[in-house]
Amino acid sequence: MSKIIEVQHLIKKFPMIKNQRAFKEIVVNLHRFSSKKNNEHFIALNSISFSVEKGECLGIIGKNGAGKSTLLSLLLGTSYPTEGELKIYGKRTPLLELGAGFHPDLTGRENIVLNGVLLGLTKEEVLARQEEIIQFSEITEFIDMPVRTYSAGMYMRLAFSVAICTDPEILLIDEILAVGDESFQKKSQGALIPLIKSGVTTVFVSHNLEEVKKICNRVLWLDHGNIMAEGAAPQVISQYLHKINP
Amino acid sequence: MFKLNRSLQRKFDLLYLLTYKEITLKYKRTVLGIFWSLLNPIFSALVFMVAFKIFMRFKIENYTFFLLSALFPWNWFLSSITISARSLVDNVTLIKKVIFPRQYLIISVILAQLVHLFFSMPILFVFSLYSNHGISLLTWGIGIPIIILIQFIFTFGVSLIISISNTFYRDIEYLIAVIINLAFWMTPITYPMSSIPEKYRSLFLLNPLTSIMSVWRGLLFENKILWNYLFIALGIAMIFRKMEKRLDEVL
Repeated sequence: MSKIIEVQHLIKKFPMIKNQRAFKEIVVNLHRFSSKKNNEHFIALNSISFSVEKGECLGIIGKNGAGKSTLLSLLLGTSYPTEGELKIYGKRTPLLELGAGFHPDLTGRENIVLNGVLLGLTKEEVLARQEEIIQFSEITEFIDMPVRTYSAGMYMRLAFSVAICTDPEILLIDEILAVGDESFQKKSQGALIPLIKSGVTTVFVSHNLEEVKKICNRVLWLDHGNIMAEGAAPQVISQYLHKINP
Repeated sequence: MFKLNRSLQRKFDLLYLLTYKEITLKYKRTVLGIFWSLLNPIFSALVFMVAFKIFMRFKIENYTFFLLSALFPWNWFLSSITISARSLVDNVTLIKKVIFPRQYLIISVILAQLVHLFFSMPILFVFSLYSNHGISLLTWGIGIPIIILIQFIFTFGVSLIISISNTFYRDIEYLIAVIINLAFWMTPITYPMSSIPEKYRSLFLLNPLTSIMSVWRGLLFENKILWNYLFIALGIAMIFRKMEKRLDEVL
């Protein structure tokens, strides 16, 4: 087995921004501008190390503000570590916020193409899968309408369908399996699980512990930027539950 | 090798789609649609013509064409800068949640505005055709593509600086509106280079737009390549290209 994701002593700090300083304050504080900078930091991730093997599904659990989403954005590459090393081999497909690349005034069909390309396909490849995506999303009759006319659920369904039809190699999922109504939720899980089992490496952030238990073979419990526990899903989850409901 | 071609293809597709989106979205829910791209420059040209031909009475032969030969390229610059100032700020979710080369957001704005320039090119072409100097393959076939490339590089650099700084302080976009207005009058667009007093002319050349607009006017209005200005513009483009490579890393 080869390591797909390797993280070593990863540290992420954010500067504390209390208030954006208005111009006059900057002028008033000009003489101590340089010294005041970079003093206060919020440590989102405090030197964490782990690795994910090919085909593994790693679940990340923890309270709000534990650093889960920060970790995902680092893995995705939309933000950079303050210190430490991060190695990732393969194409990353984010399922962080469904429909991030959608534009409300474009039609469903146009958005499929734009998002498919944003997620790493060529236009030709997206067009070849267009029907499959539309079928999966179940939005056949509205597909040529602008997505601003869609209901929230339809919007999500379309976005999810695009994302899973783009041949992901590494899936980064942030709490999005609650997509659409119940039947679509079943369907989307039904589509995701075989994908994960088929050897797509997955990092899965969720508060839904049942789901984590079902999908992930390994779980990482984060708290205040530290790894509290790591290991097989049932053990870590029971440890975690024990901690929050003693 | 196949892999490389595919990723190039993907980049091309992405840029194409973003540009396409930029163009079509602008006129969604309008009746005249893309025709605005033609009407817009015509209307703004009319305003200047009334002001300078009828009220101010500039003594320049064929003033309309003289004005348009620099005004249309200027509009390309103006709209690119104004729109791209917000392109990073307005696409925060895209930038945070999806990985793709972020400068494409800016490039697509400039390309979309270039398409609008192409819409006004036929007007310039007709004017050149009937002017005293006529047209030649050298100016339209070689000169214009070169100056488009130069202006593109320059605009891209300026847009990068503005849009990046705008993410820190939104004041920038308001500041730009003022500066760009000043730049318009500080660039020989409504007036010829020759009306600037001799001793200030080198000062004006510090403004990169002066040489760029002069090349445009030389090509269209006089049907010749003004090599001296072209070289200055080329130098500026090279400086900006260097800077852009650095800024790409910041993005």
